[in-house]
Amino acid sequence: METKHIYLCDNSIDGIFTAIYLAWSSRYGHANIKIEEKSEGSKYANIELFSEYIAVDTDLELAFKVSASIKSKISEEAFEMSCRVALSDYLGKADLIYRFLILGFSIGRSIMEHMSNEVVNQFLRVNKNVSREAYHFIEFIRFSEQENKLLTAVIHPKSNVITLITPHFEDRFPQERFLIYDADRQLATFHVPGNPWILAHVPEIDQEGMDKISFVEDDYRDLWKIFFQNIVIKERINPKLQRGNLPLRFRKDMTEFKSK
Amino acid sequence: MVIQENMTVQRKLEILSDAAKYDVACTSSGVDRKGNGTSMGNSLACGICHSFSADGRCISLLKVLYTNECTYDCKYCINRSSNDIVRTSFTPAEISDLTMEFYRRNYIEGLFLSSGILISPNHTMELMIEALRLLREVHRFNGYIHCKAIPGADPVLIEMLGWYTDRLSVNLELPTAESLRDLAPHKSRKSILRPIRQIQLGRQNHRESLGLPDFGQKPLLTTSEADQDIREIITSGSTSVLTPFSKKKEKRFFVPAGQSTQMIIGATPESDYQIMSVAESLYQNFDLKRVFYSAFMNVNQDIRLPSTQAGPPLLREHRLYQADFLLRFYGFHTKELLDEKRPNFNVLLDPKCDWALRHLEVFPVEINRADHLTLLRVPGIGTNSAQRIIMARKSAVLDFADLKRMGIVLKRAVYFITCKGRMMYPIHIEEDFITRQLVALKDQPIPGIERDITYRQLSLFDDVNFKTEFRTISKIAGM
Repeated sequence: METKHIYLCDNSIDGIFTAIYLAWSSRYGHANIKIEEKSEGSKYANIELFSEYIAVDTDLELAFKVSASIKSKISEEAFEMSCRVALSDYLGKADLIYRFLILGFSIGRSIMEHMSNEVVNQFLRVNKNVSREAYHFIEFIRFSEQENKLLTAVIHPKSNVITLITPHFEDRFPQERFLIYDADRQLATFHVPGNPWILAHVPEIDQEGMDKISFVEDDYRDLWKIFFQNIVIKERINPKLQRGNLPLRFRKDMTEFKSK
Repeated sequence: MVIQENMTVQRKLEILSDAAKYDVACTSSGVDRKGNGTSMGNSLACGICHSFSADGRCISLLKVLYTNECTYDCKYCINRSSNDIVRTSFTPAEISDLTMEFYRRNYIEGLFLSSGILISPNHTMELMIEALRLLREVHRFNGYIHCKAIPGADPVLIEMLGWYTDRLSVNLELPTAESLRDLAPHKSRKSILRPIRQIQLGRQNHRESLGLPDFGQKPLLTTSEADQDIREIITSGSTSVLTPFSKKKEKRFFVPAGQSTQMIIGATPESDYQIMSVAESLYQNFDLKRVFYSAFMNVNQDIRLPSTQAGPPLLREHRLYQADFLLRFYGFHTKELLDEKRPNFNVLLDPKCDWALRHLEVFPVEINRADHLTLLRVPGIGTNSAQRIIMARKSAVLDFADLKRMGIVLKRAVYFITCKGRMMYPIHIEEDFITRQLVALKDQPIPGIERDITYRQLSLFDDVNFKTEFRTISKIAGM
């Protein structure tokens, strides 16, 4: 039996793409290779016996080569999907992308049509989950106005969707300064009018600063709660349907579900 | 009538959102508009729901009335002039401020503005237009606005409204002219259809003047289904007085997201067949984007209207929406689903299953060969599934395991399809057998009504005209 070569890479798009480049050019044979992303938070994978672990240092140049060849040999769409899968919380996403690309590079842009293939199917499913979660956060994110007019929002997403949702708000609020903070990953995006938005790692957020809301903020929160309660038709109350449409995990960051 | 001066915005919002909640439409869909880099707002064609209220309905827009004062006395309406309730009005500034501040905080996708009739339709429309003008021109709001046009208002005012809004709608209220005369004596069917026609022609003219193809344009010949009023409105000369928008700099479209309408279900004795025929002829003749159905609730406890003690007719509403989707996305016609002999939908089966059981001669359908429209007619296969099947079968011959993997639900479909010429189980294709199997399915509860089905009290005055057919009952009895 051949030893399995396991590439252990950073949990990021660039990290995964670097590992894919190295794995591909190693010539160990696809069947003898596995790519594993470093675990995120409390999730972990078991160490496998009888296999050789290879640590991967993220190399932007190699990652860029991989993304360029996905775009030219498969499609722009496949590249975007690979990025979304790389941002997901699916365990084994790096290997999934690798398996998908093996097929993709041999079949070409029509790979998306091979939906009955197990790898493609799983890939599309993870991609869809991430897009759906990003869409949910576009819907359910709530901004608060700070004393200095800055809009702030805190989110706790399962997948790392912060970079997927910020462009929407940049387009929507071009004249606003806003900050979106992913409290689990300690990532923040920040937008200032006239400049492109930026992503930063913020290990310690100034919680006191975040709580300094402007003096009209409370009024509008109350008005929104009043609206939220009055729009209900009593004869049709149906918490199950509400839970299906708006799962509980989103509610802790939403104004209308927070008690004072 | 009590009109309180100096009411706080909180109190006004309380009253006027409470009064607006019975309007069904709260979608923010139909128009894709990028932000313009300077003013606030953009819009996505798929629409965005920002929250879900305790009744499970989506909250996408700030849904309020401009005023709940009303000179009309429609029997079904909470705001009718003969009701003794607290009356109030917003000011245009209050509405535009609320919208802007809610929008900034990502509470809402835009504004849904309706109104009672204050003094006259024209006067009310002028106030509403002023609120929208403030939003669009002073606050430079670029998000979504849905507005109700008030029947009987001057065509010029309706057109002005059309330039500010994304979607306009005029409520049809009730399916037939007779019911409307009985329950809403101040409204006439023609005064409702006239603005609908005006908006339709306005949209066509505007698209034509821009040289855009008109995807929605249907032949203006009326179908034989259309009733007298619709035929008259369609054949009378053009009523559109469209003038180009005065400010050339701003690229604005006339009602870009199209128009919708809404009907009250269960207040009057129309059958499902009548309701669906009206909806179908509205889609065909007026190029509507949506028809909404609203289960009647006797909010005024009016003894001349049916009682809704046992809850509003939600199942009936649900069946109508199912049929509505079959008309719009599945290539069905009302005549296939219902006819004079069986004018109401089956309580136990959805309209598509019901149709399939009466047309077993076209089944089973071969998944690897059937065309798109045939796939769409298989119970359990929706628009997404059909598309996925067509895409996947380009590269592989599909079997049942593949379908399952692709996330296609086989619970219903299994009785109607073959893969590679074989059914999943040896199934006897016989109407009674399949009916029993389908009725026994305990799958996901119908949204919004499962609560009523499990422990429902028997009522003599249950959903008007909505009875289980004898044939179906005997089938279940034989189960």
